[in-house]
Order: sequence, then structure tokens, then C-alpha cells
Amino acid sequence: MTEDTPLTPLEHDEALAAELALGLLEGPEAQAAVDRLSTDPAFAQAVRDWQERLAGLAEDLTPVMAPARARQGIRQRLGHALPPLETDPLERAPWWRGPMGVLTGLLAVAAVAAFLWLPGQDVPATPEYGAELVAADSDLRVDARVEGREMRLALQSGPAAEGRDWEIWWIGDDGAAISLGVMPRAGEMRMTLPEGLEPSNATSIALSDEPEGGSPTGQATGPVVAVAELTRL
Amino acid sequence: MTDARRTELEGLISRVALGDRDAFDALYDATSAKLHAICLSVLKDRPEAEETLQEVYIRVWQSAARYASNGLSPMTWLITIARNRAIDRLRARASRPATAPEDAAAAVPSEEPSPESATIMAQERRMLHECLSQLAGPQAGAVRAVYLEGVTYADLAEREGLPINTVRSWLRRSLLRLKDCVTQ
Repeated sequence: MTEDTPLTPLEHDEALAAELALGLLEGPEAQAAVDRLSTDPAFAQAVRDWQERLAGLAEDLTPVMAPARARQGIRQRLGHALPPLETDPLERAPWWRGPMGVLTGLLAVAAVAAFLWLPGQDVPATPEYGAELVAADSDLRVDARVEGREMRLALQSGPAAEGRDWEIWWIGDDGAAISLGVMPRAGEMRMTLPEGLEPSNATSIALSDEPEGGSPTGQATGPVVAVAELTRL
Repeated sequence: MTDARRTELEGLISRVALGDRDAFDALYDATSAKLHAICLSVLKDRPEAEETLQEVYIRVWQSAARYASNGLSPMTWLITIARNRAIDRLRARASRPATAPEDAAAAVPSEEPSPESATIMAQERRMLHECLSQLAGPQAGAVRAVYLEGVTYADLAEREGLPINTVRSWLRRSLLRLKDCVTQ
């Protein structure tokens, strides 16, 4: 390869993959290269290879801690945490933090306590659903439970074979299956349901037999070994 | 990156994919200083880098479920997200057209078994610096500036006082030479 010979088609593709990975392409050329990713696996792999190769440059950068408020900001935006309480001393305390607030708080505690002690009355709870997944032809049994947006799956018996995993699927009323990951090989797992998944009696939970780590394609590749509908508890 | 660290990060990402907030916190602890450094390298502005870092982790949270199938090593996946977000912001600042969404490559399922390709890539990484030093100074500098600072062909052309096509031609050849060197 000298400076003046034109690039061969292979070299041209390789250079294009590097340019796409680097973000050097613009306009229609960039769009064409992005479109090609979904139709040309070799090209997509070449782009990933460049990403992998060049990431070495970033690994050399000296790490710089971000201020703690960055993490707080992320948590807030994801709804994982409440904002910290205001601590501005110049600001007047809101009424509920003054003496009236304490009184109201005590009354509220008393009211709740009385409510809890009243016989025959249930505390209003978040909706709870459960399902028992049992395989027809093995001893696989999984208990699923959904409380609000928290889901718990417990493997009672029948872990997946060596090198395989049970992948968990959420099947909503539209019939679309969404992967919730793979079952642990023992014990239970908990998760917060992703946005858009609303438990109801029309929801089914299924387990499919997949290669270790779960389906490589994001869609079930192995047989469904157990399925059950959620029922309101 | 050692295999143990790779495995640890992969484990954390797969738990994040299930909505595990503790794993997300642990992943942030393990990687945020590096990703912040990348944002800073590209943006050279603390508040903007911090803001971008937040966008990066929000994206990580949202797209962790799609990580397992893309075949990238965990650190490369994170670095690529951080770099792309930072460059998007850099170009938005210069009111340039948005950068090509290179994340798209990570969204295409990989057919390569990732452990083997990881070993090969680890070897290539070790070669990278050696091979960069074999390029002429300006070429090696240009590759670094493009990757770490989001420099464009137009920026390079201005810097070198050359037409864009000329700059593009020599950078492409430098990249090909770099690849030949690291994969030999």
C-alpha cells in the first residue's frame, strides 16, 4: 500500500468501518453506513472491532471522579431516589416541619396505629399477583410473585442443565414476549419491573430453555418449558 | 482489562438489565471515573462533562438488557456510549449536524463468540500503543485527537492547512496501517 494507489474495496470497507466507529462520517454517507450495519454482519463486526481496538486509547485516560451530585442526579432522573431535603437555613421551614407539623405527624401516627389495630380491617396494599410455573416433563418449579412493581422469582426445584439457562419471559396482553433475564441456578431473584410492564390477569410468565446467559437473539430460541398466568392474590 | 474484571462488569451489567439498583450503583462506582474522564477529554468543560455522564448512565440503565448480545467487552460498550454521548454534545455545541449514531453497531447482535474475540482484542490492545508509535507523529496525533477529543475531518484540515479530502485520505491510510499492525 503506497500513498497514491487507490484503496481496494476491502480496504475501503475497513476504512469506512473505522470512520463510522470514530464518528467521522457525515450526512448521507453516515446514514448509508449505519443502514449497512443491519444488513451486513461482517461490516457490523468490523465496526465493533474498531470500537474494541480504539477503546484502548480511552482506557489510558486518568480516571476523574465525578462529584457526588452526578450520581444523585442520575438516581433522581431514573426515579431511584428522592431529592435530598432542602437544608437552606435562610428558608422558612414549611408548616409541616414546625410545631404544627409535629402535632399533625403525631395525629397521623395515632390514626394509622388505630387503623392497624382495628380488628377485621386490612391495610390497603399494593396489588399482588402470583403464578406457579411448573414444567410438564421435569421437576422444574418456579414461584413468581409481583408486588406493585417488584417481582420475585424463586426456583423451588429443577435448575437448568449445565451450560443452559431458564430464561424468563413476560408476556403481556398484546402477546409480545419481553425477556426478564435468566433464572438463578438456585434460590430467588428480585427485580423492579421495567417501565411499560403492567401486571394484570392478562399477563403470563414463561420459561424457555436457552443457552447459558440467555437467548443470544433476544427472542426465545429454545422450547418454552413452563408457562402460567398471573393471578391476583 | 483482566478476565476477572471483565466477568465482574458483565455480571453487574446483566443484573442492571434486570433492574437491580445495587448492581447499578456498583457499576457506577467501578466505571464512572473513567467514563467521566472520557466526557472531559471530549468536552473539556466540567459542567457539561458531568451532565453528559448522567446521560450516559441513564442510557446504560435503559439499554443494559441489550448488552449481552452485542459481543463488545463491557468496558468497550461503556466507553463507546460515553464517547458517543460526549461527541453528540460537542457537535450540538458547534451546531454541526449530529454525529452518526455509532451505537447502532452495538445494537446488532454479534455472531462471534465473545470470549475468544475478547482474547484477540486484548492482544490487539497491547499492540495499539506500539503500533501508534510506528505511525508518523501527525498521523498518530490525529487518530488520538479524533478518538479522544472528537476532532472531525474539517478540524483536521484546518489544523493541517490541507484540503479535507487530502486529510481524509491520509487518515484512512493511517487507520488501515494501524489495523495491519495490531492484527499481525
